[in-house]
Amino acid sequence: MLKQLLEKDWNNMVDAALPNPDEELNQSPYNSNLGLSMAEDAKKVVNGKLDIEVFHKKYHASLTSEFGDLFTQAPVESKKENGVKWGMVIDLRKCVGCDSCTVACKAENRTPPGISYNVVLEEEIGEFPNVAKVNLPMPCMHCDNPPCVQVCPVRATFKLDNGIVTIDNDRCIGCRYCIVACPYGARSYDFGESYEDEMLGFNDVSSPEYGIERGERKPKKTPIGTVRKCNFCMHRLERGEEPACVETCIGDARFFGDLNDPNSTVSKLANSPRAFRLKSELGAGPNVIYLK
Amino acid sequence: MQGIAKQEPLKENSKASNPLFKWWIGILLVLFAIGGYFIIERLILGLTTTNLSSITPWGAWIAFYIFFVGLSAGSFLLSTLIFVFGMDQYERVGKMALFTAVVCMIIALTFVLMDLGRPERFMNALIHWNVTSILAWEIHFYVVYISLLVAELYIAMREDLVRLTKVDSIRGKIARMLTFKNSTINEHTKKRDHRWMKILGTIGIPLAILGVHGGTGAIFAVVSARASWNTGIFPIIFVVSAMVSGTALLLAIYIIKTKVTGKEIDQGMVVSLAKMMIAFLFIDLLLQFYEYLVGLYGLEHSHLQSLGTMMGSSYSWSFWGVQMFLGAVVPIFLVFYKKTATNINALLIAGILVVIGIIGVRFNIVVPSQIVPVFEGRPAGNYFPTFNEWMVSIGIVAMGLLIFTIGDRLLPLEDTQHAEKLEG
Repeated sequence: MLKQLLEKDWNNMVDAALPNPDEELNQSPYNSNLGLSMAEDAKKVVNGKLDIEVFHKKYHASLTSEFGDLFTQAPVESKKENGVKWGMVIDLRKCVGCDSCTVACKAENRTPPGISYNVVLEEEIGEFPNVAKVNLPMPCMHCDNPPCVQVCPVRATFKLDNGIVTIDNDRCIGCRYCIVACPYGARSYDFGESYEDEMLGFNDVSSPEYGIERGERKPKKTPIGTVRKCNFCMHRLERGEEPACVETCIGDARFFGDLNDPNSTVSKLANSPRAFRLKSELGAGPNVIYLK
Repeated sequence: MQGIAKQEPLKENSKASNPLFKWWIGILLVLFAIGGYFIIERLILGLTTTNLSSITPWGAWIAFYIFFVGLSAGSFLLSTLIFVFGMDQYERVGKMALFTAVVCMIIALTFVLMDLGRPERFMNALIHWNVTSILAWEIHFYVVYISLLVAELYIAMREDLVRLTKVDSIRGKIARMLTFKNSTINEHTKKRDHRWMKILGTIGIPLAILGVHGGTGAIFAVVSARASWNTGIFPIIFVVSAMVSGTALLLAIYIIKTKVTGKEIDQGMVVSLAKMMIAFLFIDLLLQFYEYLVGLYGLEHSHLQSLGTMMGSSYSWSFWGVQMFLGAVVPIFLVFYKKTATNINALLIAGILVVIGIIGVRFNIVVPSQIVPVFEGRPAGNYFPTFNEWMVSIGIVAMGLLIFTIGDRLLPLEDTQHAEKLEG
């Protein structure tokens, strides 16, 4: 007897046992077509055929009008920063104060006398016997809201999409307002001095900052007479290398990476309880983060 | 030479042949030539000729720049007292005030040009305008302000220029050149000129206060990295001290000029101007007192350090000696002490001292805040202008005085009565 039952019969049995979906949906006080089409689109989102933002945009208005105050979810904000945002984390416990970052920076960027994109401040704190020596390596902080960019009268300094604060040395008029405005003292004016006397061939070539080959260093030639600063060794980043100071650090105290990527080492360290930023009260939003 | 001028007031040459005038022009030319040598040296060698550094990036030239912008704004605001608010008792210095304002702006902008690391790129400030930069706004305000000053000065002189067109001299020639065909004076044009003076003056007041000098103060006040600049009252102090220096300068120029040309000094006006100068000075001191009080009370480390540098370090002579003693105590004494209160020479000294005092104020604004390291642990600055910086400054000021003197000779800047005499 059981063998006689065909697939058709099974279907009929199931249909009889299940409630009619259309009837059931009609009992709801809300618009069932909306729910059905949302379910269809939700499948597409799961399959990756539809963007979640488009989905929310499409239904937000109908959902608000359908459910009124009961619908409380705001539309999902789109994340525009899809690219990288370079950041650096410096572990102060690992820093031994050897200044090799400063040396590497000077060698890499061929900075003239009086200019160093990176410095290490050394300070002894506390009173005997509770004393400690604190080394504070300071490159440019590449702030989120850079005060230097705010004040530049000619838009010669600006923030790139990758988070690096740059200078267009060919536009800079050398007014030095940015130096005055920088809370970290990260900027220097190029007075045109040179190591030529102590180091043969210093003037023969300028560092290709921002990928621009400037050739010989000569009086009156850019970047002399303009303001200079750390650029996270952008010319190295473009080749896939870390900044010189990060690469050279003997204690591996410096970490470099993408702060927009939640899985990067810098992101994880930047959110550790040890992390702090210098002068964070000013609201500049430095992207060089220190670990206590 | 007083006698000559009195006997022959109608002759144009009587002033030019004045030996004192020749000496004056000669000295100015020599100073300008010497200054010019150092200006060229600075342009060739760059800012290495200065004692500026990346720790103290702004120095004497910036201090002089804000000083002369202040003088300009102060002189202009004084002129508006006459042309807008109808304080006719100061009429004699009205056109002089406007011309002083123009010359001071020329000097101020020359100082900025000297201070730029790349002077040849100065046009970038107009081409690539960064709307969030106060400095960029200021440069635009300066351009508008100078145009307004020139327009107002022209209208103020128009009547006298038209009268001068009939005189056969260099002044007459220049007057004919400047008046074009627009050379009628009647009740209608008088009324029209008067109305325009009022309109331009009225536009100029907010422009000078908010745009030009308050804005120059804001260049410093918005810098949150430097605590002692970063206060709301800072731009106001700029404007008030501009009024102080502007009034003092006009007082001094008026007395010196009338003395040299041997004309009668309007003592009532001089005393009244001196009183006004001291009134502004009192407001200025009051504002400064609160500024320092709030700064000290805040106990913020870097703010205390800047105040300490200003008032209690090797730089403090400029604060106590120049700004406070020479620029405030002595002039206040001279204006209020009975024996000197009506003495023209004493008031002249008071005016000159106030101007010098405001130079001290400007240096004390610019320098001490940049001596304190911007980040604790970085090296402190050490700045005193080099010989080159002083000589360039002298050269620029000499250039300004030359422009002023020549302009004064060629344009009818004096009171109308004198011009009427010429006509007769």
